[in-house]
Amino acid sequence: MRSFLLTLPKSFLGFMPLYLAVEIVLGISILNKCSGVYGILALFTGHPLDFMQWVAYLWSVFTLIIFSQGLYLIHKPNLLLFSQICALYTLDTLFTCFFTLWFTTQWFTLEDTAGGVASQSNNSNLISTERLTVRNTDISKQSATESYEYSITILITLVSLIFRFYFNLILASFVQELLHHPKYLVDRDDVEQNLKNKPIWKRLYAKSQKGCYKLCKNLLN
Amino acid sequence: MANPFSRWFLSERPPNCHVADLETSLDPNKTLLKVQKYKPALSDWVHYIFLGSIMLFVFITNPAPWSFKILFYCFLGTLFIIPATSQFFFNALPILTWVALYFTSSYFPDDRRPPITVKVLPAVETILYGDNLSDILATSTNSFLDILAWLPYGLFHFGAPFVVAAILFVFGPPTVLQGYAFAFGYMNLFGVIMQNVFPAAPPWYKILYGLQSANYDMHGSPGGLARIDELLGIHMYTTAFSNSSVIFGAFPSLHSGCATMEALFFCYCFPKLKPLFIAYVCWLWWSTMYLTHHYFVDLMAGSVLSYVIFQYTKYTHLPIVDTSLFCRWSYTSIEKYDISKSDPLAADSNDIESVPLSNLELDFDLNMTDEPSVSPSLFDGSTSVSRSSATSITSLGVKRA
Repeated sequence: MRSFLLTLPKSFLGFMPLYLAVEIVLGISILNKCSGVYGILALFTGHPLDFMQWVAYLWSVFTLIIFSQGLYLIHKPNLLLFSQICALYTLDTLFTCFFTLWFTTQWFTLEDTAGGVASQSNNSNLISTERLTVRNTDISKQSATESYEYSITILITLVSLIFRFYFNLILASFVQELLHHPKYLVDRDDVEQNLKNKPIWKRLYAKSQKGCYKLCKNLLN
Repeated sequence: MANPFSRWFLSERPPNCHVADLETSLDPNKTLLKVQKYKPALSDWVHYIFLGSIMLFVFITNPAPWSFKILFYCFLGTLFIIPATSQFFFNALPILTWVALYFTSSYFPDDRRPPITVKVLPAVETILYGDNLSDILATSTNSFLDILAWLPYGLFHFGAPFVVAAILFVFGPPTVLQGYAFAFGYMNLFGVIMQNVFPAAPPWYKILYGLQSANYDMHGSPGGLARIDELLGIHMYTTAFSNSSVIFGAFPSLHSGCATMEALFFCYCFPKLKPLFIAYVCWLWWSTMYLTHHYFVDLMAGSVLSYVIFQYTKYTHLPIVDTSLFCRWSYTSIEKYDISKSDPLAADSNDIESVPLSNLELDFDLNMTDEPSVSPSLFDGSTSVSRSSATSITSLGVKRA
């Protein structure tokens, strides 16, 4: 555990305070999570979605709501909420890895079938393409080669994943600093407050925060 | 002179306060004196060298006659040297650089341009966001939605930067407009550079040509805006987009970048209206995808670029907003962020509660409710802080951030 802690970044990119990093991390995550809302609009446009897409979009909307609270409270953080965000972000990183793999296979199977159709239609356009080639022999150089397209796709995907892992470490580090800071101690009475009269979702929410806090305390303290 | 201007805007103006005053002098010596006294920091060097080199690049590569170019640069120089104009134009240097590069980028020779990618954006979109969101939103179209999409994309987008600048100038704190020009200019400048380095086909290309390879001889398409042309009986968007010089500039979306930047500045100055500004950005995002002009990943690239630049500007350039004040003339002084002071994790040496605690102290179990509460003792050492007093300080302590 200690060796893991040693690897947590103590500042953003080596020189910026952690809270600025968390503000950027949460902002970027929130922007990206908006994809869920637009995905769900498929309900109204009549575009078919499969099961995994539904899961991904609903999950995005859920994380969007939780992360937004963190961005709102970044200048006066609260340990319970940030523990929850950190735990959720970590879970989201795992989900993202899975979704990335899943949707990558989806895209390539889709592209294979679409590629077959495209090559057929290409044949009918062969004459016009030949004419173009005569006029301008360099025209094919203007479009990216297959390998260029693949490598850029893989590069963007990997870079976004690497950033995600780094962002996750930043969040963990921020929560760790909060845990060590006397100002942000969690008051037992605050946590154990009477939630009996509150609606069930509020009780569940408070319970999940408490669970996440305990988890973070065990892992990061 | 009790005209409406002084009645509305100068009523709260503190006496003998000149922070909001504008320069009216036309004497170039004033600027020269300022330049002599100016001691640039490292970030200023980077800023001026970067923008200067792009201006030089534009000067060399733009195909306009040399005499025109020299005259234009002399004109810019004159605007920069006269104090009254320089306060606006010199601060707008990033915007001027962006505009100069943008209008030159259409003249780059085709054989020098990087290859156009057709599959990268839809592939990344599917991999990161599960599907082609533009496809999802453009599945069913109707005239009402067309108009709804056209408003922010084809109309507001072009006027909004000026409206936002004017409102920020009047109702924001003094110097906020400088920060806006800086952030807006850099965002667009980086965006145009990225569009040139990484030409990529927008969603309408996939609809028209599938995943066939592209070339620079192809004409652009107005995408969904063709329906607006049809509806209004005009030919504006079809002509404009068919002959556009940045047909393959889908990544990043500067529509999204601009809208995000405008919303961020408005949220910063007028936090009460935040939901309205967020709604505008969401509306514009929807319309760009609905009109098949951008993938969601382009929108994200634009917005993330805006957000990062805004954050940098906020902590290094922007004045702190006092929401209780009415307009720029109500401010008595300009204060900026102190990054280390606003750090919620910073240990305040004046705060007795901020002494680091041992791990032992933190090690209590939340479920031990039947344990009698520990009351603070006079004999407790400085490291032993009662939890209740620690939290009570929290509520006080954060106000300082």
